[in-house]
Amino acid sequence: MLSRITSITIGIALVAVCGIDARAILANGNPPTARWIPRDTVAILEITRPKDVLHLALESKLTETVTHHPLFKQAALQPNFLKFQAGVHFLETQLGTDWQTALKKLTGGGVTAAITSKGVVLLIIDAEDAKLLDQLHGLLIGLAKLDTANQVKSTEYQGATCWELADGQVHTVLGGRFIAASKPEGLKAVLDTKSGSEGQSLLALPAYQAAKKAAGEEAAARAYVNLGIVKQLPGVQAGLEKNTNPVAALLLAGVIDALRQSNWMALALKIDEQTLSLQTTLDGKVSKNSELAAFARSEKPDAGALPNLAVPRRIAGMSLYRDLHGFYAAKDKLFPERTSGLIFFENMMGIFFSGRDLTDEVLSQFRPEIRFVVAEQKFDPAIGVPQVQLPAFALVLKVWRPNEAAELMEEAFQKAVGLVSFTSGQKGAPGFILDRPTYNEVRYTVAYLGKPRDAEKGPLPLRYNFRPSLACLGDNVVISSAESLTRDLIDTLKKEMAALPKALHETDSLVEVNATHLASILGANRHALVRQNVLEKGISQGEAENNIDLLLGAVKLLGKATFTLGQQHDQLQAKLVMTLNP
Amino acid sequence: MSLSRRDFLKQSLGTSALVSASASVPCFLARTAAAAQTQPPQDDTILIVVQLAGGNDGLNTVVPFRDDLYAKNRPTLRLSAEKLHKLDGDFGFHPQMPGFYKLYQEGLLGVLHGVGYPNPNQDHPHAMRVWQSADLRPDASQTGWLGRAVDQIYQPEAARVPAVYVGQIPRPFAMNAERAIVPWVRSLDQYGLQGDDGQVPPETPHAEASSPDRAPFQQKTAGSSPAHDLLPFVQRVALAARATSRQVEAATKAPAGDYPRFQFAATLRTIVQLIRAHLGIRIFYAELGGDEPGGFDTHAGQALNHGALLEQLSESIAAMVHDLKRDRLLDRVLLMTFSEFGRTVAENGRRGTDHGSAQPLFVVGGKVRGGLIGQHPRLDDLESNGQRAHTDFRRVYATLLDEWLKIDSRPVLGSRFSPVAFLKT
Amino acid sequence: MLLDPQNIDPAWAWAAYQPDAERPWDLRLAGHLFRRAGFGATWPQLQQALRDGPAKTVERLLRPEDDVAAFNRLYDEFERSIDPEAESTDGLRVWWLRRMMESPHPLLEKMTLFWHNHLAIPRNRPTHALSLAEHLQLLRAHALGQFDQLLDAAVHDAAMLLALSGGANRKAQPSLDLGRTFLEELTVGPGHYSESDVQGVARAFTGFMVVRHRLRYVEREHDDGAKKILGRQGPWNGHDAVKIALAQPSTARRVVAKLYRWFISETEPPSDSLLEPLVAGFASEHDIAKVVGTMLRSNLFFSNLAYRQRIKSPVEFAVGIVRGMETVVNAEPLGHELAELGQDLCHPPTTKGWIGGSTWLTDATWIRRHNLAWALFSTAGPYGGKLDPWAVARKRGGSAFEAVGRFLADLYLQGDLSPASREVWSRATARADSAKANPSQGVRTLAHVVVTLPEFQLA
Repeated sequence: MLSRITSITIGIALVAVCGIDARAILANGNPPTARWIPRDTVAILEITRPKDVLHLALESKLTETVTHHPLFKQAALQPNFLKFQAGVHFLETQLGTDWQTALKKLTGGGVTAAITSKGVVLLIIDAEDAKLLDQLHGLLIGLAKLDTANQVKSTEYQGATCWELADGQVHTVLGGRFIAASKPEGLKAVLDTKSGSEGQSLLALPAYQAAKKAAGEEAAARAYVNLGIVKQLPGVQAGLEKNTNPVAALLLAGVIDALRQSNWMALALKIDEQTLSLQTTLDGKVSKNSELAAFARSEKPDAGALPNLAVPRRIAGMSLYRDLHGFYAAKDKLFPERTSGLIFFENMMGIFFSGRDLTDEVLSQFRPEIRFVVAEQKFDPAIGVPQVQLPAFALVLKVWRPNEAAELMEEAFQKAVGLVSFTSGQKGAPGFILDRPTYNEVRYTVAYLGKPRDAEKGPLPLRYNFRPSLACLGDNVVISSAESLTRDLIDTLKKEMAALPKALHETDSLVEVNATHLASILGANRHALVRQNVLEKGISQGEAENNIDLLLGAVKLLGKATFTLGQQHDQLQAKLVMTLNP
Repeated sequence: MSLSRRDFLKQSLGTSALVSASASVPCFLARTAAAAQTQPPQDDTILIVVQLAGGNDGLNTVVPFRDDLYAKNRPTLRLSAEKLHKLDGDFGFHPQMPGFYKLYQEGLLGVLHGVGYPNPNQDHPHAMRVWQSADLRPDASQTGWLGRAVDQIYQPEAARVPAVYVGQIPRPFAMNAERAIVPWVRSLDQYGLQGDDGQVPPETPHAEASSPDRAPFQQKTAGSSPAHDLLPFVQRVALAARATSRQVEAATKAPAGDYPRFQFAATLRTIVQLIRAHLGIRIFYAELGGDEPGGFDTHAGQALNHGALLEQLSESIAAMVHDLKRDRLLDRVLLMTFSEFGRTVAENGRRGTDHGSAQPLFVVGGKVRGGLIGQHPRLDDLESNGQRAHTDFRRVYATLLDEWLKIDSRPVLGSRFSPVAFLKT
Repeated sequence: MLLDPQNIDPAWAWAAYQPDAERPWDLRLAGHLFRRAGFGATWPQLQQALRDGPAKTVERLLRPEDDVAAFNRLYDEFERSIDPEAESTDGLRVWWLRRMMESPHPLLEKMTLFWHNHLAIPRNRPTHALSLAEHLQLLRAHALGQFDQLLDAAVHDAAMLLALSGGANRKAQPSLDLGRTFLEELTVGPGHYSESDVQGVARAFTGFMVVRHRLRYVEREHDDGAKKILGRQGPWNGHDAVKIALAQPSTARRVVAKLYRWFISETEPPSDSLLEPLVAGFASEHDIAKVVGTMLRSNLFFSNLAYRQRIKSPVEFAVGIVRGMETVVNAEPLGHELAELGQDLCHPPTTKGWIGGSTWLTDATWIRRHNLAWALFSTAGPYGGKLDPWAVARKRGGSAFEAVGRFLADLYLQGDLSPASREVWSRATARADSAKANPSQGVRTLAHVVVTLPEFQLA
């Protein structure tokens, strides 16, 4: 973790050092970089508003926290880091400005990275201050020449002076624009495209233009990926063909299908003070009739995922719009092999639901609005705290015919609890006791373990995390791992029922994570995490403790994250929004 | 039984491999190995055992369509006679088994009716252990039946274990051996030597002494005889490993037959490639149905699930037979399927069947006596609600060991069992 | 004096080795000692051994100065974190491997492994992670202690009894499997007992039950009638059975012979007369450390009859590579890989333990060893590039490639290479030299070549 942080910091600084060279200014009359980049480029990343990104990297709370961490300070005393700092200081003196300012001036016009179809990496930086770029470039070439081990070569091509350093990387500076390539042919292609007709450049490619439009004008950075080429890669091809995990098929609902249909993917990063948002758009149309995705779509315009359920101490909420009946009816398309897991699942469902047909008689009971809640739980001090503390989680389903479903679910729930109790009894472990208490006028079923036996004093086994319960209210069915969460959900659902929830527009999936509670549960399991870290990283306990504390610190910084998946104008769109803690 | 050096080299190199020794192979060994190339290959027989986990419903696999009791016991699961692949006036294969039907017609497939053992156990892990250990008190058994067979023919000096498990679930107990480390192959990639540049050292004569600054361990008065020197053995293993790696690589590049897109078909293709690599592997173990309790455990909604599994079984094996025929390998190969038990004759209320007892086994190969072998157990004389077995499974094992593999079955099975006539004489 | 393995003077064999001109104390012998008494050495350990001489080095291996107790307490604590209900012992295996890589007392782990192999809990017998953890801690506690105490504790242990079908040993149905394994594998050995002894031992152990992974003694299930065990008659219980078996000379001879195979040689079984001096002492004193110490100091141990007369087990192979690089790696994938190589820690194949010797090496396991070594030295993958031979070589040896190549050959093989291996090694060194641009990667490849030489497979 430490090395990753230092390498990020160094990486940022290195961009500055490379940036030394760059300085092209769109304002100065250089055309957009895409005009110089060949049409058959696989992917391109354009940082159109570098200052926003730099601001986040250099001046945000995140950087502050990292640089104030004891581990960072320790690393800062390492010889390599000191050498690096000395180098930076030297450049600062030579250029007459601090490195942060230099970095902004050198990259202010925009940064573009691209991968060509031949696998060459291109980097184009437009400097805001062309003079500073020339100055730095001259300085570095001079320094490189001083080092006799390094052979600096320069050649002329299409009127540009191209510099090649020892490792085969080449670059040139043209009117404030720094262009580097990992191989000479990459730079040649750029210079050829520049002097060729616009039709040969990426800028003229309709797919690129469409992706740019999808990314939006206000993006601080955007990327375009030519999926037509990417999909040819053997690994990707195999990945798209293989689709055997039923859970993934249910959650991704058509994403894989959309990828198969798509020609391009657009990504857009937006930065707004404390909020980062990353939006992904695919051009592939998901056909409404596709069995692979139809279960997540509705003809009705007001249908869609419901807002998440707000409960105290919520770590995460997930809300889906999935027609389980339609999904399971298409199982042969979705996961072709009959795995033993699937058959075992059907056997158990056959028992729980007393021989009813799973597809037509059980899953047909459920409406497509499905919600999942994860929350931190409090443990009863009279019973004790489990050695590993799991969060409470609950599934909230909506049903078409509440009375019928309530009985169906109640019977299945009690059978499942009985089965668990029976098998733990076989191992000599205690089983559950069923109860039917009432809370907030709702009668629910709960299964709980008796007081631990003497032998179990001290940290309790994992099973003490569970108090499975089932509650039916209105058209909602709550299946929860912990009684406290069931009660919280009863409160929340009562309020929701009074106000009739409205489905989210054009959204079939919504995931929200609250980092404060996530950090809290991670903190409660700090010992277990440390041990795992000791083991996996092959490090001492002290080092592992530092690692975990850094991780916890980083999670705490993140306030909230929201992920949505849905369709807009027939395009599949995924959006991740992260809000940092102020 | 000890191997001569020549035998060893022959075994470890097979015939096709030109042993171009490389990085860690000393030259003199490469020369000796090359000299052994003229030996003809051993045409040993090969056994492939296929485990069908969960308890296969034999009654809906080989269907007694004329028996009224069949229809009576299977109100929703019965398969109508028109759709079956009819073997004769009484029996037919499940509709999704055209491949098996074709093999049957060609005389390459035999059905052994009513195989099991007395007082059958109906618990998955216990019953599976019975079949895997060939011991009716399987808890006392520390090794599997094939593990014991392997231990009998394995020569540590030869540096090759003549058995392999190919599959995706953990190694089955049947292959647990006392001495031999039976490889678990998930993919043939694992035979590749990573980071090996295949550079061949020059053929220069070596002085026995190493460089003067590193004089060998001097002890003038003492010397261990060459018989105690382990280094030549290790060098031979390195050589054998390199040869194996090359042979497998060559076999994977050789054209293969067409297989359906099932995981099980991929497993069988891997086995055929290993046979083509001529590594001296005589016992293969494969599985369909996965982890316990297994896919054949069709307690609920059996019809579609069971049909899909039978299709995988039948079409994959048919493709394998076709592939083996191309290289005239079929006469050397025999495949047998088994499950831990059959299923109840009557269906349960969940459109499924429960754990039964006797089951039909399938034997496939060029030397197999095709057809229906033995009596179909009656449907009105049941044992634990399943069919009553008349053929002890250990008789089948004994036939495979004694008559097919030519491995003495007595140490493997603990006593002598009379053979079952399913091999061509 | 000619060393005929069947005709060695025991007095000479077991006398302490004194370096002389003919057999000087050098890197090779130091490396040999660390391979047998542990899992290989680091460069500083080899250097210190050269300075200290054999006597002091053996002493330090038997009784290290570091705080071994504190180390083991920490790891006992780690092991307690395993899910107390788990049946899988994979979690336990991981911590044990980690101990082997890191313990300040590697001989203790080597001996724990020895007893784990002798008192083997076979694969596919009911196991339970927590009771197996306690079993291993029991073996460790006695590994270099008193054999009588070790044996008595081990056969009155939940994990052991459960594995030997003695988990419900009732008066009406004494476990003959337990009786047989006790005599056949743990004590006197084949040919030294009869079927009635099996009955007697089984009855002596009646009354012990394993309930919820704990050993319980149920008085009313104990058969307190008279039994005959190995010629002695009485109302014996389990502790008596242990004492009677220990009084048989064949028990001591068996253990000493196994120790001989473990520490000295597996190529030639020792003659009874050669073992006799050790057996006599062990039969009366049961002092494990004393026998081990005698073996490790002996003339025989430092002779050609012991040098490279064992094939490394997968654990010795992998842990030796890691230890030489002065670090530890993620033991989770390593544990799985070692199981594929035939050594699934916590699960020997049968009560006979791992047969070992030439069965460790086949074409398939060689390829896996080769690829495991490649993964260990790779920058990416499950071991995360933690082994950095270039960094270790620079710290300990030098940075010229010739010096790095020499360092690795000295560290792992003490420079003792056959001409063929020397050729392979020198070509690899030259190749690493020509790949100067990326020294770290070049040296990784070179280190991989060194540990896949045939010599490195020998202990």
